[in-house]
Amino acid sequence: MADSAVKPVIELKNVKKVYGKDVVGLKDINLTINKGEFVVIVGLSGAGKSTLLRSINRLIDITEGDILINGESITKAKGKELRMLRRNIGMIFQSFNLVKRSSVLRNVLTGRVGYYPTWKSTLNLFTKEDKQRAYDALQQVDLADKVYTRADELSGGQQQRVAIARVLTQDPDIILADEPTASLDPQTSRRVMQDLRMLNEKHGMTVVINLHSVELAQEFGKRVIGVRAGEIIYDGKMSETPKETFDQIYSGGDQDE
Amino acid sequence: MDTSMKKLPPKPVDQKKRVAHWALAIVTILLIVWSCTGIDFGGIKQTAGQIAGAIFSGIFHPDWSYVYNGTGEDLVSQLWDTVCIAFLGTFISAIISLPFAFWAAHTRHKKWYVSRVGKIVLAIIRSFPEIVLALMFIKAVGPGSAAGVLALGFHSVGMLAKLFSEAIENLEDGPNEAVTAAGGSKTNVVMFSILPNLLPALISNTLYRFDVSIRSASVLGLVGAGGIGYPLIIALQYRQWNRVGIILLGIIIMVIVIDWISGWIRKKLV
Repeated sequence: MADSAVKPVIELKNVKKVYGKDVVGLKDINLTINKGEFVVIVGLSGAGKSTLLRSINRLIDITEGDILINGESITKAKGKELRMLRRNIGMIFQSFNLVKRSSVLRNVLTGRVGYYPTWKSTLNLFTKEDKQRAYDALQQVDLADKVYTRADELSGGQQQRVAIARVLTQDPDIILADEPTASLDPQTSRRVMQDLRMLNEKHGMTVVINLHSVELAQEFGKRVIGVRAGEIIYDGKMSETPKETFDQIYSGGDQDE
Repeated sequence: MDTSMKKLPPKPVDQKKRVAHWALAIVTILLIVWSCTGIDFGGIKQTAGQIAGAIFSGIFHPDWSYVYNGTGEDLVSQLWDTVCIAFLGTFISAIISLPFAFWAAHTRHKKWYVSRVGKIVLAIIRSFPEIVLALMFIKAVGPGSAAGVLALGFHSVGMLAKLFSEAIENLEDGPNEAVTAAGGSKTNVVMFSILPNLLPALISNTLYRFDVSIRSASVLGLVGAGGIGYPLIIALQYRQWNRVGIILLGIIIMVIVIDWISGWIRKKLV
């Protein structure tokens, strides 16, 4: 996967994040993720997985270093430039983050806001093609019949699949998923992971997922990155990663929350 | 404090506190005496009891003929006027309140002082009583309902925007992040995530404010800003106790009915 002929889409260069004065979130992270990879990041709660993921689309500003998306620095981007870069990075959240009082269709269309000038999306002037695109996305996650339902009437698993349809409609090159299955039951979790795999294999999107569950990581991940105390302590292909490595990543009794 | 089994020791005497307490008591009494000397009790007429009794009996013998007579000067029309003033005033203030609410909500700004300044501005607006505002607007636009609407519209912003901003602060940030992550602008976040999530709180708080405005609007007429207050003060001045009675009854029924309706709607919202 990581051979040099492949084009890097995400590059983290000496990335450091300090919260407040001295709480270290990330320590000098160097990481390259190539096009089409399916990466799972594993580690204990508080190890820095979320910080790592959220710094990639700059929901968190890093303290030092640089992050490149397709060769462009998102760290230095401003205003419209930043919005254009973010448009190319979809995100799936642990708590789904749908607008609960809006319809499923409107939630899915939210994925398109980056493609419109603000006044147009404010007036709800989405094109017919984009509405169809949203409906197509819902069909791919088997929720076509819920298109006009209010989001809060759906179950947790359905809501997460609406979030996946939202990302599909956004049509990015990169998907970041922050603990996408942490609030779902095992069966629904697998369904969501399969949808993410579909985005990777069928649509060629690069997928980076934070995961708690070792079983899901082993089943779906192709590349594993282990994080502990703000550092990358393991990086390798899933097929070559023995079970003990996961134990090591999750042991590390010397670090706290 | 000793915890072994001894007799309860007497409460320690704190001379400073004792002096302070006595001083406080003396100052309070002095203030009461002083304020009493300021009021001219000669102003209370011997007929006081008689008039109080007349008002009381007026409530039980209301002037039913005043309820509706088709002139537009009757009770029903005047109450309707009051409701309209309260409604328009609340509506205007709800719209003005929205931008103020975003200004005063601390979760929407990176710099702490931005929302602090917004909160102070709202406190200043709140501190003007609507009667004072009504008097000023009467000078500006002339006596009548328009002055009442403007006074209520302006005064309500202070409270309504504060309630709105607290509702904004209580929203979860997740859906906003989702819009931002998709490449949305700040306006996109407001339109796609904040406003839909905020809507129940907006409606509920506005209805609550409407309740309060109805009461205020009943009083605004006393200074000539339209509504039921004006016929009330006229009837009082002409000692038409039966009419005072029917007006008071009308106000009570109006407030209760509106309270009940808005309470019912708010319950439905949750």
